[in-house]
Amino acid sequence: MRLPRFDYLKPDTLKAALELLALHKDDAKILAGGTDLLVRMKNGLLNPKVVISLKALNELSYIKKQAGYIKIGARTSLADIIASDLIQKEAKALFQACEKVGAITIQHYRGTIGGNILQDNRCQYYNQSDFHRSGHQACHKAGGKICYAREEADRCNSTCQSDGATALMALGAQIILAGKDGERTVDLADFYTTDGIMPHACESHELLKEIIIPVLGAHSAYQRLAYRSAIDYPIVCAGVLLKPSPENEIEDARIVVGAIGRSPLFLAKASASLKGKRFTDMTAFKKAADDSMNASAPFAVHNVGATLEYRCAMVSRMVFQALEQAAFSAAKE
Amino acid sequence: MEKIQIVLDINDKPCEVMIYPNDTLLEVLRDELDLTGSKESCGEGVCGSCTIQMDGKPVRSCLTLAMEAVGTKIKTVEGLANGNELSDLQQSFIDHGAVQCGFCTPGMLMTADALLKDNPRPDDKTIRKALAGNICRCTGYAKIITAVAHTGNPQDHCPDCKIGSKAKE
Repeated sequence: MRLPRFDYLKPDTLKAALELLALHKDDAKILAGGTDLLVRMKNGLLNPKVVISLKALNELSYIKKQAGYIKIGARTSLADIIASDLIQKEAKALFQACEKVGAITIQHYRGTIGGNILQDNRCQYYNQSDFHRSGHQACHKAGGKICYAREEADRCNSTCQSDGATALMALGAQIILAGKDGERTVDLADFYTTDGIMPHACESHELLKEIIIPVLGAHSAYQRLAYRSAIDYPIVCAGVLLKPSPENEIEDARIVVGAIGRSPLFLAKASASLKGKRFTDMTAFKKAADDSMNASAPFAVHNVGATLEYRCAMVSRMVFQALEQAAFSAAKE
Repeated sequence: MEKIQIVLDINDKPCEVMIYPNDTLLEVLRDELDLTGSKESCGEGVCGSCTIQMDGKPVRSCLTLAMEAVGTKIKTVEGLANGNELSDLQQSFIDHGAVQCGFCTPGMLMTADALLKDNPRPDDKTIRKALAGNICRCTGYAKIITAVAHTGNPQDHCPDCKIGSKAKE
């Protein structure tokens, strides 16, 4: 498969990159690892006039701890995140999520954390070759008025299958978006728009610069289900965070389910039900997992291969396993 | 759109090529430089048959722009052997019958070679995990894993194995 034609630009500084982005706006796409962008371009889903490569921007590749926060540069490769002791210790869910993206020796050296959380939503009816899509009418995401995943849907129901986003949302991460005229900090939970066509609120002149994870002294875990672990995107995934109180009870909990809806789903009610519970209370975990399943099932559509019933049933399993694992690492301390 | 002249460092040799910005590294290797060892199969980073090494790390050349490879050290399957003398890993693949149709072999070799450099004596689980991104259509995985394990650790892995001892002598 050949790529469509474009101009290749490689700015040397962040400032130059932002100026180029402000100049070209919608005509430009950012290239970091290329494992998501180039596939979509090959499939004819995107046809940017200009590709701006971040290859020379080593200033965006770092992991550091600063004043109670872990700060990760957006162009940090997945391999660097996995290799970091800091992430393994303080943000286990992110470590587990990055480890499970693609094949361990291949995508990890090219793929970046920024690219992972900015990846486009996917759908088995949309993410196909030109030839495949030419066989039927355009869906919402391709500019038409049909949804093949859910009959009579008035909007696109593509699924956010990012591993990193689910884990980071559970960790309560924030991101910094840089533009030519300044920066803004956004909670990752507010960043996703739940719109299948424009899944996140990154403006065309903005560049994801940094990811900030608060260090809460909490225990986190991530679980994912995919057909072929090293190749496929998840069909269900769950990230959880459990924060212990001084009495060693659960003071705060966050349950996020991914690869089910148009964005990762933070399940407030199921999370709140765990407050004040003990780390050994498996009945509470089971109930929270079932609540998560019931709350997220209405968002699921049949568009990633597995049957809908199976995927929904596995939400409960994934959430429970993640809770169990987070509680286990709490017990170890 | 015009062609651009770039210099790529491939198998320790500088190669001057004229390319379009939208050429992938795989297309340049195969079509411009006649290094047809790396294969294109899926073209979207799933199968691993186009795997090459960039600065010692395995990457998919079908998802790497040739422009992005400027300034890095590229190694393809053609660079594994030393002249006519095959590398231990290549010899082990032949000796253990790890090649059937051979289409996945260049990718398998490049991934395994990078693994053995990081971890000279990997166990089976590590090998399986490392090769998880390379698909073999003939499903000859068991022999491929044996071949890699044998290269790293011939004594412990198969003590009675006579395979490969000839090549060593």
